Amino acid sequence: MASVSATTKYVRPVLSLNKNEARKRVLALYKLWYQEIPQILLDTSLPVTEKMCFDKLREEFRKNANETDIRVIDFLIIKGEQDLQETLEKWKNKGQLMDYFKVTVEKKPSDFLGKFLSGQD
Amino acid sequence: MLRLPLVRATGLSSSRLGAVGLHTTGSKSQASQELVEVFIDDKPVQVPPGTTVLQAAAKAGVEIPRFCYHERLAVAGNCRMCLVEIEKQIKPVAACAMPVMKGWRVKTNSDLTRKAREGVMEFLLVNHPLDCPICDQGGECDLQDQSMAFGNDRSRFTDIEFSGKRAVEDKDIGPLIKTVMTRCIHCTRCIRFASEVAGLDDLGTTGRGNDMQVGTYVEKMFLSELSGNVIDLCPVGALTNKPYAFVARPWENRRTDSIDVLDAVGSNIVVSSRTGEVLRILPRVNEDVNEEWLSDKSRFACDGLKRQRIITPMIKIAGKLQSVAWEDALVTAAKALQTVAGNEGAVIAGKLADAEALIALKDLFNKLGSEVLATEQGFPKDGSGIDLRSSYLLNNTIAGIEEADVVLLIGTNPRYEAPLVNTRLRKGYLHGEQTIALIGPNIDLSYEYENLGDSIDIITKLKNGSHPFSATLKNAKKPLIILGAEQLTRKDGAKIVSETQALANTLGNNVQASEDWKVLNVLHTNASQVAALDLGYGSTIEDVKQQQPKVLFLLGADDANIKKEDFPNTFIIYLGSHGDQGATIADVVLAGAAYTEKTGSYVNTEGRAQQTGAALTPPGMARPDWKVIRALSEIAGHRLPYDNITEVRSRLEEVAPHIVRYGDVEPANFFAQAHELAKQTGGSFLPDPVDIKQKTLDQFFMTDVISRASPTMAKCVQAAIKQRQTEL
Amino acid sequence: MASTILRNFRAVARLGSAAIAKRYVSVFPVLRNTAQPPPPDKVESRPTVRKPVDEAVSTQLKEFGAYAATCLAKYIQHVQLALGDELELLISPDGVIPVLSFLKDHHNAQFASLADITALDVPSRQNRFEIVYNLLSLRYNSRIRVKTYTDELTPIDSAVPVYKAALWYEREVWDMYGVYFANHPDLRRILTDYGFQGHPLRKDFPLSGFVEVRYDDEWKRIVTEPLEMTQEFRRFELSAPWEQFPNFRNAPSPSESEPSDKPEK
Repeated sequence: MASVSATTKYVRPVLSLNKNEARKRVLALYKLWYQEIPQILLDTSLPVTEKMCFDKLREEFRKNANETDIRVIDFLIIKGEQDLQETLEKWKNKGQLMDYFKVTVEKKPSDFLGKFLSGQD
Repeated sequence: MLRLPLVRATGLSSSRLGAVGLHTTGSKSQASQELVEVFIDDKPVQVPPGTTVLQAAAKAGVEIPRFCYHERLAVAGNCRMCLVEIEKQIKPVAACAMPVMKGWRVKTNSDLTRKAREGVMEFLLVNHPLDCPICDQGGECDLQDQSMAFGNDRSRFTDIEFSGKRAVEDKDIGPLIKTVMTRCIHCTRCIRFASEVAGLDDLGTTGRGNDMQVGTYVEKMFLSELSGNVIDLCPVGALTNKPYAFVARPWENRRTDSIDVLDAVGSNIVVSSRTGEVLRILPRVNEDVNEEWLSDKSRFACDGLKRQRIITPMIKIAGKLQSVAWEDALVTAAKALQTVAGNEGAVIAGKLADAEALIALKDLFNKLGSEVLATEQGFPKDGSGIDLRSSYLLNNTIAGIEEADVVLLIGTNPRYEAPLVNTRLRKGYLHGEQTIALIGPNIDLSYEYENLGDSIDIITKLKNGSHPFSATLKNAKKPLIILGAEQLTRKDGAKIVSETQALANTLGNNVQASEDWKVLNVLHTNASQVAALDLGYGSTIEDVKQQQPKVLFLLGADDANIKKEDFPNTFIIYLGSHGDQGATIADVVLAGAAYTEKTGSYVNTEGRAQQTGAALTPPGMARPDWKVIRALSEIAGHRLPYDNITEVRSRLEEVAPHIVRYGDVEPANFFAQAHELAKQTGGSFLPDPVDIKQKTLDQFFMTDVISRASPTMAKCVQAAIKQRQTEL
Repeated sequence: MASTILRNFRAVARLGSAAIAKRYVSVFPVLRNTAQPPPPDKVESRPTVRKPVDEAVSTQLKEFGAYAATCLAKYIQHVQLALGDELELLISPDGVIPVLSFLKDHHNAQFASLADITALDVPSRQNRFEIVYNLLSLRYNSRIRVKTYTDELTPIDSAVPVYKAALWYEREVWDMYGVYFANHPDLRRILTDYGFQGHPLRKDFPLSGFVEVRYDDEWKRIVTEPLEMTQEFRRFELSAPWEQFPNFRNAPSPSESEPSDKPEK
């Protein structure tokens, strides 16, 4: 029997069966966040503007722009949905929402002299 | 192989049987003999005749438990732990002392063997106190390990109320070793170490049977430059590390493989640290360097790493050093450097400097246009100077010293300058019938030697053949000359080098041994010296004084004996780890790291490149030395082109490739050329007698910033002086 | 054959423990010569010492394991008896629902109670997570353990349709290990704080975590920042420097689990 050895491994899908479906889900999640941001800001009185939130949203999605594995994308979608649910249900408090913005994290110096003076390697 | 009886250790050395008569059979002649086949647990193994059962078993990969047996000491055979069954023999035999016979079938795990071990273990434990919870050996105790592995799990000892266990009074054998003699199991490893390796017959046993005790016969301290090794040798907690007593358990410590830098041997060590503190230092096996021994200074001076430390950079304001931020110190130093034009800057590198700092500093000062780079212990410039490595290395390697048959020491006391070189000499003396002679003052080298006098022109006499010893030297098959680096700092140092080279050359022409045999050897005392010379630190302190530089950079130079009066108009920058002589005269003090806090390359006296490991982070605001120099260079406007240790090392590789080939000795060549160049050296010997700085034990302990800051070393000095006074 | 064994299994399970041995021996004459149970005064009563395994119990378990394996040959890959009396079924990930349904609903099993679901992380394996279901049969006073495996990205069927108790257990496994359960009605975090990143019981999750949490006075709120260790992280070095007998120390411990007899086909 002339059988062609399979080059792709069959794996059980998480949510999406193909790239297109995964893409749709990502866009849907993005839209959902985008629509909800004004309401979130109304509800929580965060010290940020709508613009900052939109930028942050784009940044968070862009971070994973290079993901190609459909299952990894699905997992990211699941976690993104989980985050959105926690935000909308007001399970997350102000501090946890502000953690997206990392305002208190000091940037580490990258040049030799900066590292030397701050004592970081 | 069984050890040959130690003819010389018995004190019968006067009855010399000539250099050839008693030569030990080396491994080469053994190989030519037929091998015998024995069976260890039915595994066949081929060993040369004379091999003990224990060694044959080790070759077959079977470890036999033991307490008294140690590879580097004579066989004692008194603990009986290594009993094994041999087929067709009625009684179990002690594996460590029994040479194998052809066809023997050894059973290391039979019922008889196990029962024998259990019995021995029970006897040992009957008289061993149950104080493991308060014993410092706990966790690294051979008795603990082996009783877990081979002992019985039930006790028959019920005599606690009646007469109690055997108890022995503790001895006071000095500030380094804590004794709890009740724990002693009489393996006599310490006694054998003292008499064979350290060359001190102070330890011994008194009494017999239950009354047997290990101790010094009279009330006396066990003071030697190698005494700490008995702590490692002791299989139980009878001899433990006194400064480390009740400090930590071995499993809590973080271990970092490193290199010792307190002498130029470059002993391999393990730094045991916990919560930002070095707790103790242990030797690491390296057959080519320190075997498994370590000198007391290297082992116990680690508490000096916590005292007298420079933890912030400092600037001299109104005659007083005051702590400042790095920015201020670096800017002040950089301003001074910017005034330097041409050859107005100078560097003196100290004895603990690593190659990374040396190369960074050399690059910085070369960029400024300065060429005066000095080491604390200068090397004469005449002849080949530092251009040919053969003139300043211990060319024949440390391990090679053992093989020599005649050794001439010139102005050196290896016992205190490099204790682990001295153990090699003593080994050669004991096992290889080495003849040793010394030009220098009368000192105790722990073995017999011929003192040829302390006049330096004896070298010339030996060369001409007009000295009575020159005949012995000439007839030697493997002669060796070890020249103390200290002598090279004399005014006639150049002449000493050239004459010694001439003598070595004459002897070398006679040597039939092999091409690889190198007669000329220089024994250094400073860990940084060889790397500094390799990198081109060719000036001496005299040069620096003559030059009167505008800016003088001291890289941990505390032993150079320079004073502020020598440099009235010089701006002095000091970079180092300890506040000692160098820091007091400095205008700017930069806080550097000690050898346990940085990854640094060092080249030992035989030319072997090795690296230290960073066990801790430097204290306070201190930083690794090369980083300080790199930061300074950027602020001074001469940015050095490396940002991390890898880049510094590739720069090192450009200058001296061997420094980054860790673990290897890069052999030196061009002896003949060096000799030819040396012939041009003029001058004559000075009439001063040959002197050595470290003559007695109390002069051994404090030789550098770390050991000077160490309270343990201070106690050792006091103990050594006290002992000497009571003996007088 | 199987039915007789099961009948026996059921009958035996109902009887008191003292009667088991007798009854058993009469049924299986081969085992008559096995060691007598220890006299009553020598019975091990110390709480920290493991009691000897009852031969009868372990044989029963073995036989039930063999029976289950014949019934569900497609899903059960291996049957083993851990520590003498703990029956384990190692199944393929596809078989979670059928195997659990069988164990719950089969008249001779009736493992109606799901005691626990947990997971193990062994990063060196190809399927790094092992999912463990502990079941209890109140009817027969018997326990069974079902194990399956998965990796970071492969979902496992949720056991909620079979056992309602699985809902929170699976949320816990999802939270701690990041194993996704397909068709779970409400899969969200259960133990970690909202906004927490990562799955803390994974072996590659450091003991110290990645972030530290503190109250910031300036912002008047809790802030999360990348971890910076102010104190040295303590590790214990458990090998002795002069350990002379590594051969002995690393000797394999007596095997803790033995495969039970292969199912007869």
